[in-house]
Amino acid sequence: MSDLAMVQEDVPGKRVPLVLGKQDFHSVTESVAGIVEGPTPHKWKLLFVLALSILLILLGSLGRLVTKGIGVWGNNTTVGWAWDITGFVFWIGIGHAGTLISAILFLFRQKWRTSINRAAEAMTIFAVMSAGIYPLFHVGRVWFAYWLFPIPNQMGMWPNFKSPLFWDVCAVSTYATVSILFWYVGLVPDLATLRDRAKTKTRQIVYGIFALGWRGSHRHWLNYERAYGILAGLSAPLVLSVHTIVSFDFAVSIIPGWHTTIFPPYFVAGAIFSGFAMVMTLMIIARKAFGLERLITMRHLENMNKVIVATGTMVGYAYAVEFFIAWYSGNPYESFALMNRAFGPYKWAYWTMVSCNVIFPQLFWFKKVRTSIPAMFVISIIVNIGMWFERFVIIVTSLSRDFLPSSWAYFRPTIFDITTFFGTFGLFMTMFLLFLRFLPMVAIGEVKSVLPAADAHPHHDDDGHDAPGSEGMSKEPVHAA
Amino acid sequence: MSSKSGSGKTSKGAAATKPEADAPEPAEARKAKKSEAGAALGSSFKLSSEQSGKLMRVAGIVAGIGLVLGGAGFASDSKRFAFSYLVGFVWLATIGLGALFFVIVQHLVRAGWSVSPRRHLEWLSSGILPACAVLFVPVAVFAHTLYHHWMGEHAAHDELLRKKAAYLNPGFFYGRAVVFLVLWAGISLWFARTSRKQDETGDRSLSQKMQLASAPSMLVFGLSLTFAAFDWIMSLTPHWYSTIFGVYVFAGAATSSLSALVLVTIALQKAGLLKGVSTVEHRHDIGKLLFGFTVFWAYIAFSQFILIWYANLPEETVYYRDRSAGSWMVVSLALLFGHFIIPFLGLIARTAKRNITVLAGFAVWMLVMHWLDLYWMIMPTLDVGDAHFSWIDLGGLLLPAGVGAVAVARAATGGATYPLKDPRLAESMRLENA
Repeated sequence: MSDLAMVQEDVPGKRVPLVLGKQDFHSVTESVAGIVEGPTPHKWKLLFVLALSILLILLGSLGRLVTKGIGVWGNNTTVGWAWDITGFVFWIGIGHAGTLISAILFLFRQKWRTSINRAAEAMTIFAVMSAGIYPLFHVGRVWFAYWLFPIPNQMGMWPNFKSPLFWDVCAVSTYATVSILFWYVGLVPDLATLRDRAKTKTRQIVYGIFALGWRGSHRHWLNYERAYGILAGLSAPLVLSVHTIVSFDFAVSIIPGWHTTIFPPYFVAGAIFSGFAMVMTLMIIARKAFGLERLITMRHLENMNKVIVATGTMVGYAYAVEFFIAWYSGNPYESFALMNRAFGPYKWAYWTMVSCNVIFPQLFWFKKVRTSIPAMFVISIIVNIGMWFERFVIIVTSLSRDFLPSSWAYFRPTIFDITTFFGTFGLFMTMFLLFLRFLPMVAIGEVKSVLPAADAHPHHDDDGHDAPGSEGMSKEPVHAA
Repeated sequence: MSSKSGSGKTSKGAAATKPEADAPEPAEARKAKKSEAGAALGSSFKLSSEQSGKLMRVAGIVAGIGLVLGGAGFASDSKRFAFSYLVGFVWLATIGLGALFFVIVQHLVRAGWSVSPRRHLEWLSSGILPACAVLFVPVAVFAHTLYHHWMGEHAAHDELLRKKAAYLNPGFFYGRAVVFLVLWAGISLWFARTSRKQDETGDRSLSQKMQLASAPSMLVFGLSLTFAAFDWIMSLTPHWYSTIFGVYVFAGAATSSLSALVLVTIALQKAGLLKGVSTVEHRHDIGKLLFGFTVFWAYIAFSQFILIWYANLPEETVYYRDRSAGSWMVVSLALLFGHFIIPFLGLIARTAKRNITVLAGFAVWMLVMHWLDLYWMIMPTLDVGDAHFSWIDLGGLLLPAGVGAVAVARAATGGATYPLKDPRLAESMRLENA
């Protein structure tokens, strides 16, 4: 394990290797594809049964909702949006890390992303699926859910194009589509690897179909890289757009505490924050369970922790600016809404949110905490709790005390609120476990590209291979990784 | 100009030969190598006295014209000049602040590609921000004209302003300004000096030191820029408020400083001062950032606009009402096209970012647009109902811009044109956009 400790060193000018140990192309394939090809671990079966049971709770709750109506939830006339939208925004937020890692970090040439992007993208897709449950069932008559889309019909009935809820349908479905495409394009070469290694006819056929006839020729790779680059370029603004539109759901209204101009970037920062925390939680477990510590190294975890503390601080900035402007505006409704948040009946939720999102992540300023697995595991869960509370606080506190004091109400969740939310974890976990079992959880082809062996010019000064436009200077490779 | 020829000679070939990636060589061997290579390449890492003289002259001329125009402007219409000067001052300050942001962020993320651009950002920030501490004096003097809405006597009878008086009062306003300016000057000078110290010693621990300082600096930067934006611009219309305002000003700072960086990079490359150190690949990357932040600016500007427009609350829409009245609408639309659509379409292509003329053209364009953006934010307080461009506005811009140019030129002539012994220099030189 000595090589696992080595990543702690940080010498400027020397890049630590992105994968550890004496890895070569074959060993990377073995360690990743081996997970999919080996016998089903007992622990996986246990977890899968657990996840399925939780999924059944979701199905039961939704069944009850569909047969009885929205009234089974605790929403009341004052608080018309509560756990449903909280759950929706919570999951959509989590669904931001995957595409951020795969698109934005790709555009910034952050090669460390290669070990984590596949699982993060998968997580994104499953989180978006879980999010979709809420608006889908909140429409009440779920069999009419297709009315959300602008489909020409004989009734001449259209969604309200001026409503941010409709923009949401567009933003989320676009995001889901592009995320799936991006994920799938990245999977193609690895699916071909699995096809080629398949020991049974079924596996060969199934993986073969999805590998789209990939042969790994130069032409294939050239097209692949071009497609990947274009998808990354398209996805980068999408990452921003989805949570921007989600924030519009609130901010275009005139409800104090909802209507404030910082919402779009603030929601995006919060989404990345929660998404990274979820990736963290899952990766800590997965790397340990499948022995991938040399591919997903301490360096990866530390980098993600840095992103968490950075985005957490941005969220803290937004809280502070919101509070300051609520006072500065001199607007009595604005300042009431904020004071009510912090010191009203939901103050317990507010201070849970502040401590989970702003205070605890600050521990990551210390390298000791940033590189301690138990510490980061706990903090990643704390962050996710905090981000759930953030949405709850924003949504419920503003609604529960509206402009008419006689209609003020306190929201209490019913058992079906709780089981629906809990149940979506079952959906998420079921999908994620299936992913871990049947698809390569690390991008084999991409990780190989950051191995020392993939560097065509390691440690040669005078190989005469100049960068275009480097005006005759001979390059000196710093270090293979 | 204080070029120390001695230190220049020793550092001459550091990059020209072999930027030390790992194994440190014996000092003598290195020295010998350097002088050879230095002789071969000529002095290519430092502005020659001729070049520095020319640079200082140009900057001095701009400052001179600014002084004359500004003085004449002040004499003919001191009120207009105050507002024009505020536009020019903030224009300069935001370039310096954007540059400071990028200096800090390069350390924060241990960036490898940007070693040589970082030096030029150090010039911009450590030249401009200390100069701003002095250039703020006229703003302070004019404050009662500029911020008369809340500094004037009638503020005492305004219920809203009375509520805000704990924040919006002259004493606290000046106090905050001093804090911001001292912090900015201090941080930017510290990074520039530490980086220059590394030119001489090559000490790797300096990189670590700067990395360590970068995170708290970023916090200070974010908060100070936000509140400076509230104080100096947002408080011109003291009833109006927008929580995103700090981010909006930041977005403008980022685009303008990157535009300035493009121009500095191209000028130095053309002068042959960055041979092999900074190439078309670096310009391409800076161009990508410029493109990205142009989109970011549009995103933030749009967010602010759509939320206020949609909610349609009078206390918020007043800002856009003033800016869509009369010919201000033309300026608003000019920003939509000039600050976003045209540069978006113009810079999206790879070939555009790699073409010197196109990139430099857009850099100048974006600097003008940044000025127009600030003009659009500040001037409607004076020119209510219609935009009236005047020659005084040019004086208000050229005076701070000229002083800033002199300060940047001084920073540029003082040392090497890129961090000679930065441990990541070799990595930066290998940059290639696949």
